[in-house]
Amino acid sequence: MRIGIVCPYSFDVPGGVQNHVHDLAEALIRLGHEVSVLAPADEDAPLPPYVVSAGRAVPVPYNGSVARLAFGPISATRVRRWLSAGRFDVLHVHEPVTPSLSMLAVLYARTPVVATFHTATTRSRAMAAAQGALQVVLEKITARIAVSDLARKVQVEHLDGGGWEIPNGVAVAKFADAVPLAGWPGTGGAVGFLGRFTEPRKGFPILLNALSRLVPARPDLRLLVAGPGDPEEALADRARAVRDRITFLGKVSEEDKARMLRSVDLYVAPNTGGESFGMILTEAMAAGTPVVASDLDAFRRVLDGGRAGAVFPAGDAGALADAIAGLLDDPARRAELADRAARVVAGFDWPVVAARVLEVYATAIEAAPRLGGVAGS
Amino acid sequence: MWWIVAVVAVVVLIATYVTWIAARLDRLHARAAAAQAALDAHLVRRAAAAAELADTLGRGDLRHAARAALEAVPEERELAENDLTRELRRVPVADERAGIVDASRRVALTRQVHNDSVRDALAVRRRPLVRLLRLARRHPAPRYFDVDDPMLDPGVPAS
Repeated sequence: MRIGIVCPYSFDVPGGVQNHVHDLAEALIRLGHEVSVLAPADEDAPLPPYVVSAGRAVPVPYNGSVARLAFGPISATRVRRWLSAGRFDVLHVHEPVTPSLSMLAVLYARTPVVATFHTATTRSRAMAAAQGALQVVLEKITARIAVSDLARKVQVEHLDGGGWEIPNGVAVAKFADAVPLAGWPGTGGAVGFLGRFTEPRKGFPILLNALSRLVPARPDLRLLVAGPGDPEEALADRARAVRDRITFLGKVSEEDKARMLRSVDLYVAPNTGGESFGMILTEAMAAGTPVVASDLDAFRRVLDGGRAGAVFPAGDAGALADAIAGLLDDPARRAELADRAARVVAGFDWPVVAARVLEVYATAIEAAPRLGGVAGS
Repeated sequence: MWWIVAVVAVVVLIATYVTWIAARLDRLHARAAAAQAALDAHLVRRAAAAAELADTLGRGDLRHAARAALEAVPEERELAENDLTRELRRVPVADERAGIVDASRRVALTRQVHNDSVRDALAVRRRPLVRLLRLARRHPAPRYFDVDDPMLDPGVPAS
């Protein structure tokens, strides 16, 4: 199949959608298909061979922050040129409802169009105002994909129809084969946390409270933290005994993230809300590290109804401490959870996810009217 | 004299808009028809797979439901397909189901695509101008395919 994929965000800037497009493209290529990705990028940015640059993206204020968009006559020309050169069997756009390359591609497409909706952000005023214009774009989309149940619900609420749910894929081997960091996990037990630890909804303070309860009885227990933020701010007012147990790695590369996940006995996700999927859980599961997570709906779903990891009531540091203690003392149970998690995460592995995406492509191609004349009108 | 120009301009604009909407209606109905054909093909495929499975497992109820789905008249198609879904859910999980699980999933997927296309066509048909000028009179109104979720749950593989 000749597949054209459009990414609305700059490929040389790290981000969820970009990673998804990158991994999906490589998985499809590995399955033998011809893939071309169109995305904004800076002129001298190094890009993979299957990516075609659509020029630089322009920063535009949108929805309370700044979006970088490529949308205008020059972008339109590039999109048309890429489409006609590509002769694609199917066009796969990401996030088509914001003014971007994706929207332009949908408007100019003469092939079946599949659209993936990533964000679960609530409707913005601009989107509400553009309902009528948006309808013209949405009509040209043959099949829709949503990456999470929440993204799907947002579509149902604001765009009059849900998408086919296909989760974000994870490159299982990359995590399973990563080498732990030197000196980790060590003999006293190690737990890990990854994310913006200064953001309240990530739940870092709850983990710290749990740690305070555990440290007296477990003097060698350590916490490994990766992610952006100021450690001083996060650890203000914490006892020395707790501060000494924590190692901050700062922002980590994808490779180091995999290594970090392999370096701990347990991965903890104490989030109190705002998670539509929980990629980090699938990554921890792929690394073979048992997961202890708060009982958010999204987490429960990823953990196979709570069976592929330990679940504790969100916000309850005492329960979290008990869960961690219980698992640290029970290697057999940890192995059991990791085993089940490995089987569950195999369903999120990129070859499997890519095959499901290909099914959607096939359906869109089958369901599209034949071009070049209307048969028997 | 300017008002004659204004009237002509407005008439031209309206005529252009009407032409555009009519073309859009044609496209939307063509898409709904194509999606309908694809859905039909997958329903047939599922029923055929179910009939084969019924023969392998020797289940009379399933065979009967599969035949009924293949032979149903359009008005009763949805009921027949629902019956087939119900019969398929009663088959215990086994490897033979792999083909039928895929076929059911394709039905669910194609049904979503079909219903999306129907919704898009109906939305434009309902616009005041379209109703007023009866622009959609050439196309019969497409119908949703209203059945229960046909997905079968294969379960997490046991190691």
